[in-house]
Amino acid sequence: MSQQWIASCSIDEIPVDDVIGVQVQGREIAFYRVGDDVFATDNICTHGHARLCDGFLEGHEIECPLHQGRFDIRNGKAMCEPLTEDIRSYPIRIEEGRVYIKLG
Amino acid sequence: MGDMQKVFPINPVWEGQGTSRIPFWAYTDESLYKRELERFFYQGHWCYVGLEAEIPNPGDFKRTVIGERSVIMVRDADGGINVVENVCAHRGMQFCRERHGNRKEFVCPYHQWNYKLNGDLQGVPFRRGVKQDGKVNGGMPKEFKTEDHGLNKLKVAIRGGVVFASFDHNLPSLEEFLGPTILAYFDRLFNGRKLRILGYNRQRIPGNWKLMQENIKDPYHPGLLHTWFITYGLWRADNKSELKMDEHFRHAAMISTRGNAQARNEVTAGVTSFKETMEINDKRLLDIVPEPWWGGPTAVMMTLFPSVILQQQVNSVSTRHIQPNGTGSFDFVWTHFGFEDDTEEMTNRRLIQANLFGPAGFVSADDGEVIELSQQGFEQKPYHRALAELGGYECENTDHMVTETLIRGMYDYWRKVMGV
Repeated sequence: MSQQWIASCSIDEIPVDDVIGVQVQGREIAFYRVGDDVFATDNICTHGHARLCDGFLEGHEIECPLHQGRFDIRNGKAMCEPLTEDIRSYPIRIEEGRVYIKLG
Repeated sequence: MGDMQKVFPINPVWEGQGTSRIPFWAYTDESLYKRELERFFYQGHWCYVGLEAEIPNPGDFKRTVIGERSVIMVRDADGGINVVENVCAHRGMQFCRERHGNRKEFVCPYHQWNYKLNGDLQGVPFRRGVKQDGKVNGGMPKEFKTEDHGLNKLKVAIRGGVVFASFDHNLPSLEEFLGPTILAYFDRLFNGRKLRILGYNRQRIPGNWKLMQENIKDPYHPGLLHTWFITYGLWRADNKSELKMDEHFRHAAMISTRGNAQARNEVTAGVTSFKETMEINDKRLLDIVPEPWWGGPTAVMMTLFPSVILQQQVNSVSTRHIQPNGTGSFDFVWTHFGFEDDTEEMTNRRLIQANLFGPAGFVSADDGEVIELSQQGFEQKPYHRALAELGGYECENTDHMVTETLIRGMYDYWRKVMGV
């Protein structure tokens, strides 16, 4: 099941250079849009358990609204303090305006 | 009647230059107490916060106090020790409530302001506001800098595994603060061996904090108050002994060497509570197993002004932390320790001998009680004064115990710093 591509939101629902939170099979996923590229990570910060979709996207970095920790949305890498743990990122595919995600 | 002394003097004055008569109001006056906190605990003096062995691992912390100010001693990821004030930079809350623990960072629960273990502010919730319907509401002003809002960081000094801290960053080194005489006794006890924490006693004593310093600067009382000592021949007036102070007379060491405890001569024969026939069941409470580091003395009691007493009584070693909370009360926290290379037998001996100390100790229970009763005497007639004239009027080092010189010395320093 989890190895399959799962249809989620449409690309138009994600504002350019911003982030939204979407439930995919009961999990909270953050979808980011940078130009025409879409990225996806877990939505809950690995540090203070805030929602990254309430945060601020700067280029390819999402800044958590709670303590300003930043992740690279392309690979989930924790970029600065207070983060000590990377966030999980997911493969994305876009077909006819629909975003597909592989939760793995 | 007209000449009668006011019981509660207004603007009291300490008459003359000497310190052998200590006004009762020195222990009861609220504004003097605030000045003591300011000048002794918060400025110019290294205060005890704990032992390195209490926080062996990165992230380990211990909450304690300097004067009345709550502080946290914490081991950083790189192994260094930080001391920060337990007051959130946001709304002033004492955010840390646990006495001990391990943390990766400090978080104030009120608004989740988030600090590194060195006190730097890492982040604050909603710094950039909250997004709603395509706009951003609120947030901190753009000038807000996390660098300006860290926790208050104290200056830290560590020697021999003992941690001292100061709110005042412009003070002499710990070594200079202690002075060469006291430093030598400090290094005798803390000579670089790793310490092992054996346990704690805590008690709240309803008396002025200075009375605890005086208690350990007073070799007059043990043979008289602590009848337990006499009963078992532990304290004798003819013990070989010395009293030494730093150049300011603020710190002191009472050094004594117990003679042959079996010999019963006329020195103890005259003391009523000495009972020839009574013997203690567990001899480890009393007998001496000399340790190489002693270099002679069987007991050295150090009073470091204002915050701590360092104890070696035979095989029992401890720190006693003075934590004032008002003119008429202080918390007294004992940390009993041993050394990494102690045998199990020596550890047990140290623990058995610790029964003499702490709030219910065979010996120290008496001290808590006389301090309480002294304070009650002071409070009923603050105009009066206590007497400390045993051995004369001067402040000097001696080679005997029949003197109150160390108390006079402490008040000589107290008067200078307090301007009283």
